[in-house]
Amino acid sequence: MFEYLIFFTFAAIAVIFSAIVVIHRNPIVSALSLVVSFFALAVMYVLLDAPFMAALQVIVYAGAIMVLFLFVIMLLNLAQTDEPISRPVQQFLGITGAAGFAITLIYYILKAAVIHTGGPAVFVADARAIGVTMFEAYIFPFEAVSILLLAAIVGALILSQRTSAIAKDGGAR
Amino acid sequence: MSFDTPDIILSLIKIGIVLGLVLSVTPVWVWVERRGSALIQDRPGPNRIGPLGLMQAMADAAKFILKEDLVPAQAHKVLYTLAPMFGLIPAVTTCAVIPFARGFVIPEVIEYSGLIGAILVGGAVAHLVLGIIALRVTSHFGAIAGATRVNQWIGRLVAVGLFATVPLLLGIFFWFRSAGPVEIPFGFAGRHFEPIIADVSVGILLFFALSSLGVYGMATAGWASANKYSMIGAIRASAQMISYELALTLAAVGVLLGAGTLRLTDIVYRQSGTFVLFDTIPLPAWNIFPMFIGFIIFWVAAFAETNRLPFDFAEAEAEIVAGFHTEYSSMKFALFFMAEYMAMGTISALIATLFLGGWDIPYWNEPANFVGFLASFASFILKTSFFLFVFVWVRWTVPRLKYDLLMKLGWKVFLPLALLNIVIVAILIPLGWI
Repeated sequence: MFEYLIFFTFAAIAVIFSAIVVIHRNPIVSALSLVVSFFALAVMYVLLDAPFMAALQVIVYAGAIMVLFLFVIMLLNLAQTDEPISRPVQQFLGITGAAGFAITLIYYILKAAVIHTGGPAVFVADARAIGVTMFEAYIFPFEAVSILLLAAIVGALILSQRTSAIAKDGGAR
Repeated sequence: MSFDTPDIILSLIKIGIVLGLVLSVTPVWVWVERRGSALIQDRPGPNRIGPLGLMQAMADAAKFILKEDLVPAQAHKVLYTLAPMFGLIPAVTTCAVIPFARGFVIPEVIEYSGLIGAILVGGAVAHLVLGIIALRVTSHFGAIAGATRVNQWIGRLVAVGLFATVPLLLGIFFWFRSAGPVEIPFGFAGRHFEPIIADVSVGILLFFALSSLGVYGMATAGWASANKYSMIGAIRASAQMISYELALTLAAVGVLLGAGTLRLTDIVYRQSGTFVLFDTIPLPAWNIFPMFIGFIIFWVAAFAETNRLPFDFAEAEAEIVAGFHTEYSSMKFALFFMAEYMAMGTISALIATLFLGGWDIPYWNEPANFVGFLASFASFILKTSFFLFVFVWVRWTVPRLKYDLLMKLGWKVFLPLALLNIVIVAILIPLGWI
């Protein structure tokens, strides 16, 4: 009973603040709403007996990535926060696509979802179990992803180096 | 999840103790900071209100409540109001995962002993003295212009409350001395009392998760104020937090490697006892000895994490007025102020827990009873206070760095050193040193 109360409270928070992220015109408010939504999502992990995932969710997304987002938005200092609606075709396509996806999702969830009330725990999601799974069963995807990230870092470095070189000789190149 | 009433009451007691400690950090340490800075700069410091100026914080609090609460016309009203709360919530919640004393089993019966008598009589005397001080201070408020009546009534109310507990405590003392052994009622007997609010399996990760949210208070405040200086403060705060959180977390990884767990109670229990160096010198098994580099990095990064000098770039009063809280006044400013001191308190407690054995008293195996609980609690408070005092000491000794030096120090010195610390610990573990 207690779990249901927590679940529905935080599910509502997650949904409402996700909607604000999309609807709100001010990018800073959107970013902060996304943080609240991530936090509510972390509560879902706690309810699923995965406190390790919950802590990582908050550290990585709310604590690091969103701080970076906020930092960039503030640095850009968007003067015109209330942008008038242009590009009607793209807007129509986006809304239609999103609505179609939402309807399909709700249809299949209603068709397939069963509310489980306390079954046997299949996987204990503590730090040790996740570490063993990641570094034994999924070692190859893990290493592949790390190489991908390394490539992305090197790419970002090269891009920033090139722009600073252009700035140095006055954009002559 | 299942609950029973004694468990809930014990949890409430723990929350009361921790919250009381965290909330009292601000007034006490504002006094220490002001008197300490005066000592370092060879001047008297605040000495008017109460003996040694001890009641200065009360006067400050009264002043904050009575000040006008300004909101700039161009500010984003909602976020401007929410920002101080964003700042305060992480500071208050992080203390939930820190174990503050040795756990003990609540006995079936308790008998009168000299210790309990001393605590009760000492408490009564302390309340009497505090009540007299409160009355004296209240008479001082008469000299302050404006709203004296309110202050006087608050002071009298506090004094009456303090005096009322004196006969209560003495009554319990005399009744207890004559009553003989008393059975513990309400099913508390035989329960294990672990002095930590949330003994979760991911304790330290929860601490980092919550403390990493502290930056939103500063960033939001700076942006919502619609002020250039506030904005610069907010951007500096975000950049600094991203850089130093990495060093802080990596320095803690060494401790986690050694302990093999994320649970802070286990980390402390593993540090009790001794470690014999070269088969001759018995040292306390504290993490500071094998992980000295990690300890130094963690300690310095803690200064950056709490925005204290020499790393207080988010407010830097000589450069950007008051940084992110330039536009804030009254209790909104007081919340930022409280959050800063609370964050200092919790991070000091975490340094003590990770590297100095938490509540552990060296060369003494604390008994798992009430005496052990009290002694270890005192030891924990002592260690935390030491680190808190160093925050003050450094602030009035070391000047602010240059901003680019701060970034260089974070990325080019602390990050490699923290990685080196992890490698050293990883080598020491199979050698049996940790």
